[in-house]
Amino acid sequence: MSKAAFPVNDLLRRKLQTSLTVATLTLSVASTLFMLFFSRRISLGITSTGNALTYGLSAIFSQFMLFIGVLIFAVGAVITSFIVFLLMKQRTRDFGLIKAAGCPNGLVFGFFMTELLAIAFIGCVLGVVLGLVADFAVANIFHFYTYSESLSFWLAPLVFASFFVLSLIFGAKPMLDAAKLSPIKALSPVQYFGLTTGNKLKPLSRAGLTFKIASRSLFRRQSASVRIVILLSTVFVLLTVSIAGGVIASDTTTSWVENAMGRNIVAVAHKNMGAQYTQLLATFSGATENGDFNYLDPEMALPDTLLQQLNALQGIENVDARLILNGHIQEISNFTIDPETLATFPVGDSREGDSLIVGVDPQNMATSWSLKGRFLSSGEGGEAEAVIGDSISQTMFSPDVHAKIFRSDPLIQSLRLQNATFNIVGVCVDPINNGKVTYVSLEKLQNVTGVFYANIALVKLGSDADRASLLAQIKTEANQVNSDFSVFELDEVLQKNRDFISAVWSAVMLLPIFTLTSAALCLIGYTMLSVEEQHQEFAVLRVIGTKPKAVVTILAMQSLIVLFSSFAVGISLGVIVTVMILMSHPLVTSFTILAIAGWLLAALTGMFLLSLWPALRFAKKPILKMMS
Amino acid sequence: MAMQARELVVATDSLSKAYPLGEEEVEVLKSVTLKVARGEFVALCGPSGSGKTTLLNIIAGIDKPTSGKLLVLGQDLAVQDENFLADFRCNHVGFVFQAYNLVSTLTVAENVAFPMEWSRKPEKKIESRVAELLETVGLQHRENHFSAQLSGGEQQRVAFARALANDPELVLADEPTGNLDEKNGQKITQVLRMLKKNGKTVIVATHDAELIRLADWAACLDDGGLTSKNE
Repeated sequence: MSKAAFPVNDLLRRKLQTSLTVATLTLSVASTLFMLFFSRRISLGITSTGNALTYGLSAIFSQFMLFIGVLIFAVGAVITSFIVFLLMKQRTRDFGLIKAAGCPNGLVFGFFMTELLAIAFIGCVLGVVLGLVADFAVANIFHFYTYSESLSFWLAPLVFASFFVLSLIFGAKPMLDAAKLSPIKALSPVQYFGLTTGNKLKPLSRAGLTFKIASRSLFRRQSASVRIVILLSTVFVLLTVSIAGGVIASDTTTSWVENAMGRNIVAVAHKNMGAQYTQLLATFSGATENGDFNYLDPEMALPDTLLQQLNALQGIENVDARLILNGHIQEISNFTIDPETLATFPVGDSREGDSLIVGVDPQNMATSWSLKGRFLSSGEGGEAEAVIGDSISQTMFSPDVHAKIFRSDPLIQSLRLQNATFNIVGVCVDPINNGKVTYVSLEKLQNVTGVFYANIALVKLGSDADRASLLAQIKTEANQVNSDFSVFELDEVLQKNRDFISAVWSAVMLLPIFTLTSAALCLIGYTMLSVEEQHQEFAVLRVIGTKPKAVVTILAMQSLIVLFSSFAVGISLGVIVTVMILMSHPLVTSFTILAIAGWLLAALTGMFLLSLWPALRFAKKPILKMMS
Repeated sequence: MAMQARELVVATDSLSKAYPLGEEEVEVLKSVTLKVARGEFVALCGPSGSGKTTLLNIIAGIDKPTSGKLLVLGQDLAVQDENFLADFRCNHVGFVFQAYNLVSTLTVAENVAFPMEWSRKPEKKIESRVAELLETVGLQHRENHFSAQLSGGEQQRVAFARALANDPELVLADEPTGNLDEKNGQKITQVLRMLKKNGKTVIVATHDAELIRLADWAACLDDGGLTSKNE
């Protein structure tokens, strides 16, 4: 056999182990690349800022993606280090054998380094390919092409290079360690598996003995066991953040959008106004509205008589008349006092921008919002107040280092609209016009603009009402006033927005699936290491009378110990990160908890069952084959 | 010895075993007929590769014959499933390997207790039996040590204690002194002598002249066939 043929033959001889290592490395690279491409494709998250979603929701999403991105890279690194460690650790004995046969150190190191290079190269190349395919598939399935930017293909070689170097660094370590050993030590099981000696426990029971064999074997493989627990803990943190975070964030953000848009609501307006309003709501999921629309066309005016007739209809809960228009607003700065030094500091500046202005009657609202601060007070007279959308808050009332605005807080600032000043009392998450919206009292807005009518009415239908007949009555009433007035169902656009949020979070949840699969492969690798280390003992146990299932039980216990210890650490950290850092005011219902628990338990069970595969395969072998 | 009058523990008739090797078959045992009565001490001798270990493995139910008949304690082991064979070995057969093969994750006491735990013996009985067996092999002071802390001779004595744990009717030992020096070999011989004295049925595969002398009779294998039987 030529020198060059040895590494190739050695890899082919261990087909299963080689494939497992390549598959794991492939998945690690693929998940990292996919995450980077995916976040870029939907123009959000780590690599860019976007046009879809409101700024508030986009900020939550970006925070998640950033955290998941960091975790995925960390998991990828840990998985890579573990799998190449395993690969090379299992060659320690071969190292000793070849050295004992007289092969010089450098040549032996060269053999195994060639194997490592081949595996790292193949795994990373396949990972890049799989990452690109997954990104393409997800973009097609979830129709994220709408938001695509030009993809940064420089990310592919970057990820390839990172993981390739990582593989070499972590894979070379056990080889260098083995190279330092004398042949006799490399061949010794004491060195190979890190045997320790022990305690004075007496036999307990059949189950107790099985547990002892399982747990003591874990401790004897300390370095591999510690690595797999760290790896799985990191995976479970990632899984919890993605699943728990994904479910909570999806439920919470959906609830925000549902409240802001309202359920069981129809809009009554001029046909052009209704279409424009529907588009304004749909901008959240990527639609574009007509920027030149003339909201103040007198044709749009809803007469008071129509509003009164609608209010009089049986089955209608309330009629929320609004005046919507495009406006130009200006930030008004303020001062704040440092309570310790009593020094004053300017807050905000005088930034300007366009906003959708919505005049509402605070006493007669059909919708509600997730708010920071409060909504408009309902008392007549008093100071003029405004509630701004989260996108206005982010663009016009946030610190901006480039513009040298170091302090900004909308809740202690005001805004100017057509020479009138409005104190900002709240910031709301609102899908309309992607959060670029300002709510003021209808009365104040009419006084400021001199437009004394409403141009849209949101009509909330009673839940017990006969919907079809009620809609027909509303339409008749509207048509009697003006044949261009119509009724617009908002549930359809609400469903589109819901689906969009769901698609965003579903795509986020694809990321841990890659990582979970890699981790499951690592766990299989770890069980294979256990089988390899203990095959002789298992054969002896079978000779002295234990049944094949005892072997499976011992290996299953090892997997369970590893899985449960990692699960406990990972889930705890994941929940803390999700609820305390990533998501403020999370909406957590008992159903949410059940859904999260279900997903996590399914992941745990899936990993456990997969890890049994090498055990079941081994236990089926005849005793003599187990021994060899 | 009047074999007809005594119960047969092992009876083989034209037993053969062949292993596939590529496209060919290597016949390791060729038509072996062997009868061992209760209480007999039998030595299996013959050169390396003659089929001694294969025959012991088949008698123990670890391996299955390719053809021929095999009755051990009245059971045709060739047709039994793995679970039956496991129970059978646990309760009726004690097996000692040349390479000791203790479970490295269990202490000496735990290794000896293991077969009893597996056959669900009462805890107190296990404790007293472990103490008794370790005293028999002279290792009571080593009960809480792991195999890695024992010498080869000590490990083999523990292996005998483990093989005797369930008081099996048949003890099989595969070159039990093969890896030991003379002094440790003699200790193992003493254990086997005690088994003979206690009337255990023992089959030992060995090259050791002293063990062959200790046997009631010796069966010699060569190239897979039984060539002679020396009483």
